[in-house]
Amino acid sequence: MTNIVMECRNLWKTYGNIIAVKDVSLQINEGDIKLIFGPSGSGKSTFLRCLAMLTPPDKGDVFLRNECLTKPGVDLNKARAKIGFVFQHIWLFRHLTALGNVELALRRVLKMSKDKARDRAMLALKEVKMEEWANHYPAQLSGGQQQRIGIARALAREPDIILLDEPTSALDPELTGEVIDTLRDLAKMGTTMLIVSHEMPFAREVADEMIFYDEGAIIETNLPELFFTSPESERAKKFMARLIKRTKRE
Amino acid sequence: MSFIVENLPLIANGFLVTIEVTLVGIFAGLALGIVLAIGDLYGGKIISTIIRFYVEFFRGSPIIAQLFIFVYVVPPLFHVLIDPLIAGFLIFALNSAAYQKGYIKGAMQAVFEDQMQAGLSIGLSKASTIVFVILPQALRILIPAWSNEFCSLTKSTAALSQAGVRDLTSTFSSIGSQTFMILEAWVACAILYLIWITVMTKIFDIVYEKKKIPGIEISA
Repeated sequence: MTNIVMECRNLWKTYGNIIAVKDVSLQINEGDIKLIFGPSGSGKSTFLRCLAMLTPPDKGDVFLRNECLTKPGVDLNKARAKIGFVFQHIWLFRHLTALGNVELALRRVLKMSKDKARDRAMLALKEVKMEEWANHYPAQLSGGQQQRIGIARALAREPDIILLDEPTSALDPELTGEVIDTLRDLAKMGTTMLIVSHEMPFAREVADEMIFYDEGAIIETNLPELFFTSPESERAKKFMARLIKRTKRE
Repeated sequence: MSFIVENLPLIANGFLVTIEVTLVGIFAGLALGIVLAIGDLYGGKIISTIIRFYVEFFRGSPIIAQLFIFVYVVPPLFHVLIDPLIAGFLIFALNSAAYQKGYIKGAMQAVFEDQMQAGLSIGLSKASTIVFVILPQALRILIPAWSNEFCSLTKSTAALSQAGVRDLTSTFSSIGSQTFMILEAWVACAILYLIWITVMTKIFDIVYEKKKIPGIEISA
């Protein structure tokens, strides 16, 4: 018996005449790591934000462990507390230290005591190897360090799933490594994750499934080894060829 | 300088009134300004239209006229008695709130979008995100503008004399005409304002430096 953590059915989201999410359905099981590949502007970020209910979808349903989040009257704040989200541009709370960033949800959402929140936050910082930087403010940290705090912030409240929206794409190439290492550690711990990322070696290593997303729709889902060597859809083929060329150039 | 010594109790009293009215004005104005800024940002069309009218009225007319209306026009209309000093507190708070609302809204918008998203993403409600994330940052950005608002508010308290309140300006004005030392009186008056404003803006500067988020340079 598989245990479905998150599911969406026939999800739609449009902005004017741009369709960012077009009738998308997806299931993510406990411990799954799925990677979304696809050209920029194809709606991947919007899709992720719809899943986290940060952007309400126009139509369709999102479920988190059998609870329908798209039903009216659902306490979305409570639901979001169970969904970790890591932003492309990191978006740490600038006025709080690394520890403060991780603690905030523990204190104000989960209502933990000060000591308990601190312990748990330090644990999360340890998991991303940032415990020594606990008292630094975001602006005093490198991009890679900031993103690791961003991951710790998502991780600390032990969410059912973590959604990561291109967690390394805003970083300098030399800083992506440390973030990828952190994600690798999470993968080893069995964290359920849906990641938008174009990091191919990482995808090959940790992904259970590759999702190719283009023009607001899932074009292809495939095993990583098949996806990278012989994608089925024409569009995925073209995209992979371009991506490999670009990666080689870098 | 003997005229100052002789009138010291009067001067101290006037000075105290000026200090009280500016402090009440700036702090009550801040509290109300925050409410107005949040109302304008989230309250929907009707509320933000009402707020706009409010702001236009208080920014668009002289404070001296507002005071006059509140002290001499409103009470007989509604058959109430309003103590002129209380009226001063009220008008300066309402007036300052109209200005501060603009600064606060701007500061909130400056930190708003990504920080709101981040707040929601960790499970905070919109209101909690405003309290724990947006306002702490917006208020820091606000301090230099707040310091300016404080200076102009302090000086406009001179209008209080029109409502029959003995503030610093009206005290010196009458001392000057009673002692025939008009020039000296105004110089002394200016010096006292200058001291008060310098001390307070220095405090604002210190708070600004102290509260600055490490690693971030905010340009006002």
